[in-house]
Formats: sequence, C-alpha cells, structure tokens
Amino acid sequence: MPVSAHTQVTELTEDAHACLTFGVQEDLLDLTAAFVRDGLASGFRVVVLSDSPQLAAAKLGWREVAAEAAVATGQMVMAASQDGLVGPQGFSAGQAMGWLRDQLTDSRRQGYAGIRVALDMSWALRPMTGIEELPVLEEEIAAAVSGAGMSVLCGYDRERFDPVTLALIAPFHSHAVAAATYYDDPVLRICRQYVPPGIRLAGEMDFLAAEALALALGEAIRIDGDITINMANLSFIDASSIRMIADAAASLDPSRTVILRCRPAIETRFEQLGADRLPQVSLVSVDEG
Amino acid sequence: MKDNDRRPDPASPGDSAVLADTEADMADGTARLALDQAFDSGTLYALRAAVQAHAIQEGLPESRTDDLVIAVHELAANAVRHGAGAGRLRMWERDGALHCQVDDGGSPASGSQAGPGGNMADRWPFLQGHGLWLVRLVADQISVFSGLGGTRATVVFLPATGQDPSVSAPD
Repeated sequence: MPVSAHTQVTELTEDAHACLTFGVQEDLLDLTAAFVRDGLASGFRVVVLSDSPQLAAAKLGWREVAAEAAVATGQMVMAASQDGLVGPQGFSAGQAMGWLRDQLTDSRRQGYAGIRVALDMSWALRPMTGIEELPVLEEEIAAAVSGAGMSVLCGYDRERFDPVTLALIAPFHSHAVAAATYYDDPVLRICRQYVPPGIRLAGEMDFLAAEALALALGEAIRIDGDITINMANLSFIDASSIRMIADAAASLDPSRTVILRCRPAIETRFEQLGADRLPQVSLVSVDEG
Repeated sequence: MKDNDRRPDPASPGDSAVLADTEADMADGTARLALDQAFDSGTLYALRAAVQAHAIQEGLPESRTDDLVIAVHELAANAVRHGAGAGRLRMWERDGALHCQVDDGGSPASGSQAGPGGNMADRWPFLQGHGLWLVRLVADQISVFSGLGGTRATVVFLPATGQDPSVSAPD
C-alpha cells in the first residue's frame, strides 16, 4: 500500500494502518485522543495500549474524551503493553498478532461494527528478546486490517527510535500521521491541537514568529465551535503575540469561546493587556509542566 | 488582576521621574554593572535568558523577575522593530533597585517629536494593550530620552518591601 504523507488523524478511515511519528509526548496524546474520540463517536470498540493505562486514561480526561465512561460500558479497553504485545518471554510477532486478533474477534462478538486500536510503541524501545521481529509484526498488521473493519494507529517517538528501525517499519503502514506544525525550533513550537480543537504553543512566543501564529490562529478559527489555545508549556509571551490572540478572539461571534489554557504568570499578562475582558475569552489556569 | 490594582494607571503620567543614566550611575561608584549585552532580532531569546538569570541572582522575587524580563523584552523589541534593528542592554543595581537601560542605536527620527534632553516617556505610544503599555504597567519607574545617538529607555524595579503582594505566597 502506498504511504501517503501528511494524512490528518481525523481523516483516517477503517482498514487504515497508520504510522504516527511524534517528537513530543503531547503530540502522541493529542493525536491518540482524536483517534479515540472519533472511534467512540462512530460506535466502534476502541483499544488503547500503552505502558501506563491509568496515566493514559487521566491524560485523555481533560481532552474531553470520556474514556472512563467508555471503559465502564466496555466500548473502550485500556491495555498495558506487557498484557498485550509483549509476553513474559519477550516479544514475538506471532504472539503479538494473536493478541490483536483476539481484540478483533472479541469486538465482533460484542457486536461492534468496527474496532480502532491505538498502540504506543514505546515498549519496543526496551531491550528484549525477539524485538528484531518488529517489522514482521507491522507487515502482519498491514495484512490483517485489510477488509477487517479494523484500523490500527502505531505511535513511534521519532527522537528515540533509530532511523533504521523507522525506515524498516514505515513502508508497512498505509498512512503517515503527524501533528500539523506551524513553527518548530528549539525555542518555540506552534502546532495544531486536535482534541480539544485549537492550537498549542510551547516554549517562548514573541513577535518574531508572528507569521506562524497568524497562520495557526487563522486555521483554528475556521473550525466551528469553541477553540482551545493550549499554552500549558509556554513560559513567555510578548505583548504583540497576546494582542494577535486577542484580536483573533475578538473577531469571533460572541457565542463562541476561545479557551486560553496557561500558567498563572502568562494568565497575568493576558489580564494586564485586557484580553480577559473580551466576551469570547475564557482564561483557564493550569499548573506548570 | 491583583498586580495591576496597586500600580498607577499607565495612561496617566506621573511615574516618569528623570532617571540617572548608566554613565552617571557608574561614575559615582554607588552602582554595580550586572549585565552589558548587545542584541538584535536573532538574540532576543538569549537576552531574555540573561536578564532572567541576573535578576534572580540579584535577588528579585520570581514574579518581579517575570515582569523585568517582559519589560526588557518589550523595550528591546521596540529597538529591533522601530529602531536600528539592534541595540544594547545594560543592567545595574543601585541601592537595591535594578535599573535596565536599552539603547536602540538608531537615528533620533523615531522620537524626533521630543527635543533632545527631554523625558519623552509621556509622549511614547503607550497604547492600551501594546508592549510599552505593559512596560509602564510592570516597571516602578520609566524614562525615555531621544537624542542624536538614538533612543534610550530606562526602567527601574525597586526592591521588594514586606507588604509587596508580588512576594507573597501564590494562592
């Protein structure tokens, strides 16, 4: 299957075997949340595999994905890597495929029209026997999703997986998925946020990246409904950037809300410049980190 | 919110006392130069990092350090965008107060409406919601002079007092 670059996670259909590469953990969580949200909305069984299911469930929580409720009804399954893809004797592609087929069989038996499986592949970074079979697993997943009403999202940290491994596994995927990024250098990152919809700013934001911020805001306000500007990992913002965000908010119909998630120090700046007095703006304070 | 309540309204003049400049402060031996750094658009990030590190070293509380960083950034950004595109920051301590002086190295054209030698802080474009508005809001004192060598802006951050709300524990 051809690998189509730059597929949006929200455009993935069933039978997709998508390779999600990410540089920051937030991207993995955000794109997984979008994949999960859309799967739940379609009435599919959704399985999320990660090293820490409890942590993953909590992180999905603020993103307005009702993970706990879906787990309670059985529509969603939060699985740990060691209970799924990795066995006590290490890794084997056959055993991992067995687990995946069990998920598919179970979801069909329960009457779900389809199944979405999100795999955080960070378990494969640990030294273990059999890990050389990782490309075999990816090849078999590609064959298994075809016509099965199943889609699989494999999350690979491009900073931690070596390029050789990534080059080996990439061709077995039908889609390449990554966060839409407007600006990325060591000081600042501006990217789209999928769940809840909006943009994310991390690092230090000043007028030098105004063009990228304008583009990101312009795309964000085109979607319907409320917009979240997630600045939880932003440590500095200057007046011209605040004004640009305030102007974008002010241009919206007052029935729409721009939620500004930021640390208290950043929140103070928005207040000092009067942005909190706009009817469209809602400031939400978050802890640093 | 709580911070601006105790501060003068930036739209009204009165907090722009004439401040001594670097050379005068250094000459009488009562001041100590903490930082002397050139900047342009490519080094604003480094300038902010240096200002933050030195402000912490000088004992400024965290919230006031944030204020000092934004004030210096906005003055420097003004020099980059409306001055010669580059400038120089000098930061010194005198009687417990931190002084930051930004020279834009530009022509006096940007501020030619004020004659050389006059404090033109009141005539600067302190538009609500803009960078210089913010500078005036967070700094304890500000002065701006324009002359043949360009524009020189100085902000002063006074030492924290016991009842200063910015040093009390966050709620």
